[in-house]
Formats: sequence, C-alpha cells, structure tokens
Amino acid sequence: MADHNDPNAVNSIFSDIDYSAADLYDLFGFPTHDGRNALLALTFASTPKAGELDSDMLYRLLVTSQPRVAFPHAEDVSLESVLGYFDAVKDKYLGELKPCEIRVVPQPGQRAAVKFIGFPCGDFSTVVDLNTVTPIQTPDGQTVQAFIGGRDDAFFNDLTGFFRSINYAPQFYHVPHTMTEARELPIPKTLIELEGNDLFNFRPDFPTWGFFQEDRTTPKLDLPPGPWEWKGNNFKKDANGDYRFVYDGSDCRAGQNCNAIILELPHSFITPDPSANRLINAWGESWVLRAAHKVESIPDDASWSGDPWKTVREKELDDELRKYKLVDTDGQPFADAGLSEREDDRQLGANNFSLGPAFIRRLAHLGWGFGPSISALGLQTSFDHDNSPVSIHRTYDTAIAAFPRAKKTIFQQLNMPDDSWNPKGLNIPLRRPIEIFVPNVCAIDMDTTGTWPFGRRLEDQVATRFLSVFLDMSAELNGKKYHLDMLSDPALWASVPILPKTPPNPLKNDKEFLPNFPYLAEPWPESW
Amino acid sequence: MTAYDLALAKARKDIAALEAISQRDSRDCEKRVRLAYRLFHQASLTSDEIEFRKVRQAIDDVIRDFGPKEDICLLRANIDGRFHRLGEVKRDLEMCPALARRREGRSITADVDFQEGRYDEARRALESLIDESRTWDALARLAHWKGKMGEREEADRLYAEAEDELTAKELLSFAWLELQRGVLAISRGRYGKARTHYHRAAASFSGHWLAGEHIAKLLAAEGKFDEALALMREVIARTPRPESKQALGELLASVGRAEEAKPWLDAAEAAYLASAREGGVHYFHHLADLYADTGRPAEAVEWARKDVALRPNFSTQAALAWALFQNGEMAEGVEWIRRALSSGVQDGGIFATAASLLHAAGDAAEGDRYARAAAEINPGGSGFHLHH
Repeated sequence: MADHNDPNAVNSIFSDIDYSAADLYDLFGFPTHDGRNALLALTFASTPKAGELDSDMLYRLLVTSQPRVAFPHAEDVSLESVLGYFDAVKDKYLGELKPCEIRVVPQPGQRAAVKFIGFPCGDFSTVVDLNTVTPIQTPDGQTVQAFIGGRDDAFFNDLTGFFRSINYAPQFYHVPHTMTEARELPIPKTLIELEGNDLFNFRPDFPTWGFFQEDRTTPKLDLPPGPWEWKGNNFKKDANGDYRFVYDGSDCRAGQNCNAIILELPHSFITPDPSANRLINAWGESWVLRAAHKVESIPDDASWSGDPWKTVREKELDDELRKYKLVDTDGQPFADAGLSEREDDRQLGANNFSLGPAFIRRLAHLGWGFGPSISALGLQTSFDHDNSPVSIHRTYDTAIAAFPRAKKTIFQQLNMPDDSWNPKGLNIPLRRPIEIFVPNVCAIDMDTTGTWPFGRRLEDQVATRFLSVFLDMSAELNGKKYHLDMLSDPALWASVPILPKTPPNPLKNDKEFLPNFPYLAEPWPESW
Repeated sequence: MTAYDLALAKARKDIAALEAISQRDSRDCEKRVRLAYRLFHQASLTSDEIEFRKVRQAIDDVIRDFGPKEDICLLRANIDGRFHRLGEVKRDLEMCPALARRREGRSITADVDFQEGRYDEARRALESLIDESRTWDALARLAHWKGKMGEREEADRLYAEAEDELTAKELLSFAWLELQRGVLAISRGRYGKARTHYHRAAASFSGHWLAGEHIAKLLAAEGKFDEALALMREVIARTPRPESKQALGELLASVGRAEEAKPWLDAAEAAYLASAREGGVHYFHHLADLYADTGRPAEAVEWARKDVALRPNFSTQAALAWALFQNGEMAEGVEWIRRALSSGVQDGGIFATAASLLHAAGDAAEGDRYARAAAEINPGGSGFHLHH
C-alpha cells in the first residue's frame, strides 16, 4: 500500500508469487519552481535490487494537461449525475484525449532509454545512466531533470493496521492463492477492535503478528477453518473504557527501498498553453516483456483472443508496446488496495470509468465498517449507517442500492486543514472523492502546492487522508470544520477513549526527503 | 550459464533458505508450503524421480502437520496427475472439496476426464474455463484436446494464444508450449515447422534437456541419425532419464546397432521395473512400448493391460492393441483398436496401428482406409518414430 503488492498477479503476499518489478507502489506529483515545473515520481518494487532495473520491464508515465473545470454536478447529488460523470470521463479518455508519454526501457550497463512521445515539441529519446541526476535537453530548448534508480521508499504507512481494518487475511494468515473468498474475511471492517474478534484483534502474546520483518518474512498464523464470522454486537473496551485502535502508527515501510522514475518537467513542455491548462493529470503503468519477444529471433506473431477490450487496447499500441503486457497501473493511492480489491483485470489506468459503479458499492461496504467506528469515537461520519452502534459487514450487488448510504461520502467536498494548499488564494474548488478516484490519475493543480488531493506531495500522509473521506466534512470540532488532516492530529487521539493514542499512520517518512531534485531520499543499504 | 542452470541454481538457493526457515520454525505453514512448491519446481526442472519423492514427502508432511490446505492439495494433485495416479488425484481433490470447485481443481479434473476417456466432459470443462478467463494453461489444455481430435489448426492457434499470455518471467512455460507446437507439427510430418518451434523452445529456455530430446527425435525422424545419436547422448549425460535411454536404445536399434542399443534399453527397463516395484504406475506405457518393440510381446500385453485399467483412453487402448497384435492375439487387438478409434481421435500413429491390425485381421478395405487416413495426416509417417 498505497498500492504496494497489487494487482494480485504480483502480490508476493501469496506463497507462490515472487517479488516483481511490475509492482507499482506510488505516483507522486506536485508543482515545483513556483508552478512552472511539475515533479512526477513513479515508484515500484526494487527487484532485482535498489538501483538496478529488471531488463524485462517497460514503464510508462502518461501525462495530459488541461484547464481546471469545476465539478459539473455539484448541485445534483444523485446516482444519475454520478453515472453521467462516469460517462463524460469515458468519452474524454476514450475520445479526444491523447496523453503525452514518457517511456522508460532498461538498457544493459546500468542505463535506461527514456523516450518522450507525443509532447508538443515532438518525439525524442535519450539514454541515461541509472542512479544519476541527468538533465535532458528538449527539442524546444527546455530542460527535463531525470533520475532513474534506487531510492528510499517514500511511503510511510501502518500497512498492518490498514489490513487489520479491512480484515485482509493474507497479511495475518497463510491463505492459499486459490482461496479468493478468504482474502477479505466476511466480518465487519472497522477502525476500532470488535469485542471477541479473534480473527484480527491484536494479540499481546504475538506482537509481530502480521508485521513485515527485516528478513522479508511476515509472521502469520494458520487460517482457522471457516466459517469466518463475528457474532459480537459491540466494540471492544478495556477496563478503563478505552477502545483498542486497529492501527498503531507503525511505519511498515521503514528502512525499505524502491526503484523510481523521477522527472521534473517544465509545464510548458507538456502543454503549449500552461497558463490556460492549469491541471496536469498523470498516471503510471508497468509492462512486462511478452515471452515471445524475449528472444529476438522469435518473430512477432502475437495471436488474438476473443476479448473485445483487449482488441481495443491492442489496436492502440505501437510496435514496441505490443511486445509487452500491461501488469499494473498507478494514479491515485488506494485505487487498487482500497477500492479495486487488487483484481488483475481492473488495471485500467486513467480509463477506470467502467469501475465507477463498483467504487460506489465498495465505498458503501467500507462505510458500514468505518462509519460506525468513527461515530463510536464521538466524531461525525459522512456515511449513513442508521446510527448503528457497531460496524456491520454488508455488501451490495448494485450501485443503486449502495448510493443512498454513500452519497455524502462520494460527493462531499474534502476540506483542507488550512489555506496553505492554495498559496495564490485563487477560487479553486475543493475536491470530491468521486472526482479524485475517477479517472484514476494523479491530478496536479499547478496553482496549488500539489498536496493531496490536488496532486500528491512526498510528505502527504495519504493513508490517513483517505480514511478522512469517511468524516463528515460539514461537521466541526473545536470550532473548526473537519478536514483531511484531522485524523493525523495527535491532540485528537489524546482526547478520545482509545489506545494506543496515536494517529493511525506515521506523520512523516522514516528518512528526510531532499530539498532538491530528485527529492526522494537515498536508498538504504540492502542486506538481503 | 544457461537459463536452465540459472533456474536450477535459483530453485536450490530458495530451497536452502526455506529449509533454514522451516527448521527454525516448523509451524510456519506458509514457508513449508512455499518450500514444497520450490521443491516441485526443482524436480520439474530435473525430472529426477528421487526429487519428486522428496516433494511428495514434503507435501505429506505439511498435510500431516497442518491438514489438507488447498494449495498443498493442489500441488499433490498436480504431482499425482503427472505420475498417472488418477485415483490419488481424485482423493487429493476430495480432501479439499472447495478446491475441486475452483478453477485450478476444475482444470485438473478435466485432465483426469481426458485420461479416463471422458473426452466430451473434458472439452466442456475446458471451454467453460476459457469462457471465464483465457489463461494460458486452460488454452494449452484445450489445444491438446483439439490436436488429438483432429482440429490441428485450431490447436496450434490456441497454443499460440497461450504463448501470448506469457511474459518473459514464464519462459519455461513458453518453451514447453513451443515443444507442444512442434510435436503437433511432427504429427503431421511438418518437420520444418517442428524444427522452428523446437529451436524457439531451446532459445527461449536455453540448456533445457527437454528441448534437446525433442530436437534429437526430430533429427531421427528426418533420417539424420548421427546427429540425433550425438544429441541424445548429450541429453542423457546431463539428465539420465530412463525415457531418454529408451529413446537412444530404440534409435540405435533402428539403424542396426542392436548391440549398442541393448545396454540403453536394459537400463531403461531396469528403471521402469524398479519404479513399478515401488508402486509407480507412470512407466506402464513405457514398458508396454519397450517390450512390444523388443520381441517380448506377452510382457508388453501385461503392462499395457495394467495401463489401460488405470487410464482407459485412446492412447493406452491403442498401445494394448499393438501389444496384442505383436503377441498374435489379433481378435482382441482389433477390438481394442476399434475402441480407441471410437473416441474420435485423429492421430496418424493410431491410424497406422489400426491399418496394420485390420490388414492382419483380413479387413483390407478398412485397413486401407486407415492407412490413407494416416497418410493424410502425416504423409511422411513411414519414417523413424518414437512411441513416447
């Protein structure tokens, strides 16, 4: 997580799947140099090791720039408006939108080919050394800064806590890959422990349970035979009346590396009219060389399946890309792990409009878990759970059924903690979850600092901000409107009856970020 | 280092690491399962029966310690299927009823159906799996079915589609698919096409004995006996499988070097019999072939009967028919070959066997018909042919 270890095809949590360089972790994107440039950083699993790329891979960063447009259905909170929005996104991303692309292909000798395709100044390419900051001169006389190589993984998150909250069994139990029904066990999701939840509650006698260890193992238990159920009716409280938080604020990625493609692009290189096109949308993709093209002597005779979506996609591919197979995509944090349930066939990149109805169902499912947890702590939730005193396990077959419960969660504007995100004081609308997750892009507003959801800065605690989607942003605490960083405030946790008294996720990365390009910190020495 | 050597070295390294972890904590089910899978991978690379026994032991230990988990039962079913223990495969799936309903379990059940002669059930199951998801293994299974039942163009197309699903991280599987396409081409006498596929297999996963063995058989079929012999000796030096020794022996015998052939055939026979004495059943068809071709038809019949009792399909039925024919039991031989043909199989080798039997039984017209059918499938079918 954010999108570590997904889709399932590269989910090394299962015993028969190896670590894969196709496992994309995060896409960071924010303005630099007073909004004249944009920083994009795509991070992924450091296999074979940090600073060395897998020669069978191809990575793409896709970029568009367009004007900022206010959400078109702001006053119409209905399922019809949601579906209309998805349709509009579909028309846009399958229609006129032609993204520019930066393609990175590993080369022998610790180098990588970097190809710029579809930019206004024309196509060009170069080869750069890995692990070195390289200025690349563009045909129109500008400079792109590039760094490709090993870095500290810039994600800081209580991965184990998140998995505990959604009952993700493979983090805690030996779950065979075949047992798809035993991934998220069918008991209520929750932010605070459930009384008698023997499946996931913290075990004082086994404190390392579900926590990734330095030797790359994760202590787990044998999955008990089903049915996996919870028969309680209340949250767990200790003798002092304190709830037990499923998070403990651990940084489960501490001391671990990633490989990264980091680029600093002049906005005027991306679009000829940066003053009008204030948004930069970006997403990343990982592709693995098809077996048939591993050996050069093998002719390109790729055959066809009967899958119409595949047919559409393949027609759009150029000769080089046809030799590769798309494995993972990354735009928004949690689009995979939180909303798409890591399904291999949901790796659609920006074109995830077809998943819109599934997102509504999923948000409602999560809401029945997180909403009552939030209420129990005395906070207001955006999810309509009928004042349920405890989390409930509920799934939906249709978006129609799910929507009334989740509509506020989907539509509400997400308040920012203060005005620092908008340094120019412009009339920039606050973002809503619906427009954050569909399309699945990192949408950088070049007039902001690029903090999530107006992009994604390295220091953003996006895991906690994602949880805040379930807070009621119209409510107030101590005279201040709820906001995206409220759950990261230690004072809040000190004031509610819960242990441990910690924000759910770490407040900062385990290693200081750099003040200048490439911004991500140096990699850790690798002992394995 | 070749791809084969690298893969083997990696498997051994992984095994060593997992064994160390498992020794530290034998209650770590996940590591024990992972270890069993890695042991299986290693054994699949070497095809060493002793290593397969270790895998089986590791699996049984996991089941004893942790019960019949799905992934370990799946592995057990795979190995049992590989070694023709079809009854065991069914028991493996019964141990874990949920597994039998899953995609992986349904694939294995389709294999069992095919092996036991329930061809339509197998096809329907595979088509259903493919409708759900066009995974490479389901496509390859259906390709095999189609290839045997005469839809060879479609079979090749399905194999090609299966290849297209694989990435550079799955080159062993890719090479295996190329070999299947080569086998399909050889069955039609298309040696040039077979050569292309075999060499692709060798290039994509270098150093693998399996590609070498296939190329040697192709060379023999093309009449390039010296090259075939040299390559087969090389394969055996690296991987001394009894099947390869039998192939070398048959090859030597076919060029009139019976004395040189004998020790190879004897060694193969000894290994097959040793396996059978220990309860193995997967060499029954090799024993039937070996004895039928070396003037011991009564023994060939004995082993062929055992094989057909375990796996009543067109392949074992045709082998029994051939053994009976060699043993002068013409009437029963004709009965068995008719049973094999009733499956709908469209195989040049089986048609040629049918032609021989029917001619010998006095049915010249039908014998001619099958001879023509065999020639239509494989116009060069009279060349050197290895049974396995």
